[in-house]
Amino acid sequence: MVTKKKLMDSMMKERVFDIINCLFLIIVMVVTLYPFLNVLAISLNESTDTVRGGIYVWPREFTLNNYLEIMKYDNLVTGFINSVLRTVIGTILGVFAQAMVAFTLSRADFQGRKFVSTFLVLTMYFSGGLIPGYMLIRDLGLMNSFWVYILPGLVSAFNIIIIRSFMDGLPFSLQESAKMDGANDFTIFYRIILPLCKPVLATIALFVAVGQWNSWFDTYLFNSMNENLTTLQYELMKILDNTSMGGNVDANQMRPNEQQQNQVSPESIKMAITMVTVIPIMLVYPFVQRYFIQGMTLGAVKQ
Amino acid sequence: MRSCYKVFSLVLLTALLSIMAACQNSKEEVTSKSEGNGPITLTVFDSDTNPDWENMESPVGQKIKEDTGITLDPEFDIEGGQTKIPLMVASGEYPDMILPKNEASTLVEAGALIDLAPLIEEHAPNIKKMLGDDINRLKWSKDDPSIYILSNNTVDEDRAHPNFGALVQHDVVRELGYPDMKTLEDLENAIREYKKLHPEINGQPTIGLTLQTDGWRLQSATLNSGFMMTGGSDDGEYFVDPETYEATLHYRRPAEKEVFRWYNTMNDEGLLDPDSFVQKHDQWLSKLSTGRALATIAPDWMIYEAQSALREAGMEERMYGMYPITLSEEYKHHAFRDNGFQVGWGIGITKDCKDPVRAIKFLDYLVKEETQVMLNWGIEGEHYEVVDGKRVIPEDVLERRNNDKNFLKETGIGYNFSRFAPRYGDGALDSTGQTYTINTREQQIANQTEIEKEVLKNYGVELWKDLYPSKDEFPVSPWGAAYNLAIPSGSKLEVNNQRMLDITFKRVPEAILAEPEKFDAIWDQFMKDLDKVGVEESEEEFTQIVKDTVELWNN
Repeated sequence: MVTKKKLMDSMMKERVFDIINCLFLIIVMVVTLYPFLNVLAISLNESTDTVRGGIYVWPREFTLNNYLEIMKYDNLVTGFINSVLRTVIGTILGVFAQAMVAFTLSRADFQGRKFVSTFLVLTMYFSGGLIPGYMLIRDLGLMNSFWVYILPGLVSAFNIIIIRSFMDGLPFSLQESAKMDGANDFTIFYRIILPLCKPVLATIALFVAVGQWNSWFDTYLFNSMNENLTTLQYELMKILDNTSMGGNVDANQMRPNEQQQNQVSPESIKMAITMVTVIPIMLVYPFVQRYFIQGMTLGAVKQ
Repeated sequence: MRSCYKVFSLVLLTALLSIMAACQNSKEEVTSKSEGNGPITLTVFDSDTNPDWENMESPVGQKIKEDTGITLDPEFDIEGGQTKIPLMVASGEYPDMILPKNEASTLVEAGALIDLAPLIEEHAPNIKKMLGDDINRLKWSKDDPSIYILSNNTVDEDRAHPNFGALVQHDVVRELGYPDMKTLEDLENAIREYKKLHPEINGQPTIGLTLQTDGWRLQSATLNSGFMMTGGSDDGEYFVDPETYEATLHYRRPAEKEVFRWYNTMNDEGLLDPDSFVQKHDQWLSKLSTGRALATIAPDWMIYEAQSALREAGMEERMYGMYPITLSEEYKHHAFRDNGFQVGWGIGITKDCKDPVRAIKFLDYLVKEETQVMLNWGIEGEHYEVVDGKRVIPEDVLERRNNDKNFLKETGIGYNFSRFAPRYGDGALDSTGQTYTINTREQQIANQTEIEKEVLKNYGVELWKDLYPSKDEFPVSPWGAAYNLAIPSGSKLEVNNQRMLDITFKRVPEAILAEPEKFDAIWDQFMKDLDKVGVEESEEEFTQIVKDTVELWNN
């Protein structure tokens, strides 16, 4: 009897825990999901109607006008292609380069390990600043070229440290045994380290990809005069700047019946732009997610 | 380990050296001044965006190219030049012409802009004719009277709409039989009576007066009403005495205390929207655009979106009319005071310019009468026709002007080119007595709703601006608009202005929301707080700036 009661008790406790847990997670979900749905609803709502307020998760007067308004701008397609290219190329090259540096730094037998690490960490605290950075890029001949999207950010100290600490957690005996089987350092890196590092590399890839996808400032600084090298975010930034207040007061002066035209308000444009920016990069998450969950090095070594 | 350090420091050193070498390798100056009218490309950096840039391919662009031989190669910035202009200064490479907005002083300090005064004197008869004595307003400062920036603002403007006033729903005045709408008392009575008659609008409780209080908007709407309703004109935080040029922080004027006391009594009577001081801009707009709020007090451009939402929804009786409400009848509404030619933002020619003479001649061409007409109306026979000596826009072109979003880009009319030089404003007349802009009186009347026409007719006028004292009743302000005067950055005055603004943002809402008997005490505290940060000293400093400006501009 006593054991049965105890069992009941623990079951009850588990139940209560589950319920509270579920409730809590549902609240968290609502809190994170609602702003997104709200933005989506506003972006799909007639903009003059949005001004009246009261749009929550469902558009009141459905329209695609806000999106059509964005699509009217030139260069959006070029920008999209370039953004995808820089994201794909930048991520692949970036992750590979960073993993390689991290691997070198994780090896105790590397002589300059401490110095290089310190040197890398320094770059996290001190940067050259905008103007020297600009002049460096200019003198390196990277202005007006696609490589300015890839090369300057290729090796990031922060990411390297993350990858390195993950590699530090891998048993060194793995490398030793490989070496005994005749593998050289490159083989070890390709065949043993990289596969084992999949979870952390997926995370870093996501960091880099999101960063590449979102960045517009480099386009603005270095490639703004070359329409063929424009990126989606820079084009959207221009649209946003143009539709927000004070953009072009004069434009209205040229239209006598200003009030009659169906003006798309900056708020709606902003929301539509947010969606255009967020959705493509969101599509990457499901592909990367499984690596997050994957077990790490369980059962690889017995010591 | 030690050898490692050595190797790295060596690498570092070489890197540094090579960077320094690269810096010294700056380009050699190429200054071959071409004469005549051969084709030439001038680069322009513009701190504003322009998605409608037409690459000089539109009819108007083609005509300009044909007449001047100049092709513009512009760069339109999205950060107001705040990033790129310092970069230009750092790298020492400038475009031929530049519109630096707020960054002009960065360029002047770097010696990047050339003095336009001799160029205008010699090569720009049209600019001289257009600006007349106002050209003095372009002088940089007392110590350096050169002209670096040619303002691209409007000249001789007679605004088509009043820009500040009390906004009252058409239905309110219509139902109450068009009462006088001149003083705060009139406004209060109208709101009270209408609210009593209609405690609900579309099923929601009626709001009497709602206020715009979101961040800086509090300043341009509610706080500015202090001087706008007591015979002051918009000079920013300081009220400037037109005779003595004595500047006073405007809240310190006794009359304004009464304006804010009025807000206080409105609150006490329950006619003021209780959310007034906690709502955001979009909440305020949503109250106006659902037609729930009977009145508000704001500049016209702030409620633009609400007006079009109401019009779109067919709630024309809930749209707002603008009335020159003052504290009492002795005050005159100064919304139409003429600030004269506004300077500050405009275009400059840099020291790297390939051909400054061609550049200034180009700007001179843009302000010429024929060009100004073309920039507003388009090409004769294509975008407008002349009937009996009057310019007329044909129906189909008008239709395109209003509804075709690509109209400006395809034709080159408007700000594609008018942004580069001073231009005639609404109401300015050309040599044939017609307006330069297409925004004529007839056009505006044609654009009114039926209810708007009815309301205006009952007040005996045709346009909202007719309710206001007109521009001719005021002398041109010899200091322009005081909020435009440059306050030296980092100066004590700048710091003090911010501190006083912080105090205002705290005390004014407190005073308005207080119980009426406490109003005086809070207002006194407000004045004392201002004294504590040295308001009188700041006023003196600002007075000096105003006086210096008047002297610089009028000599």
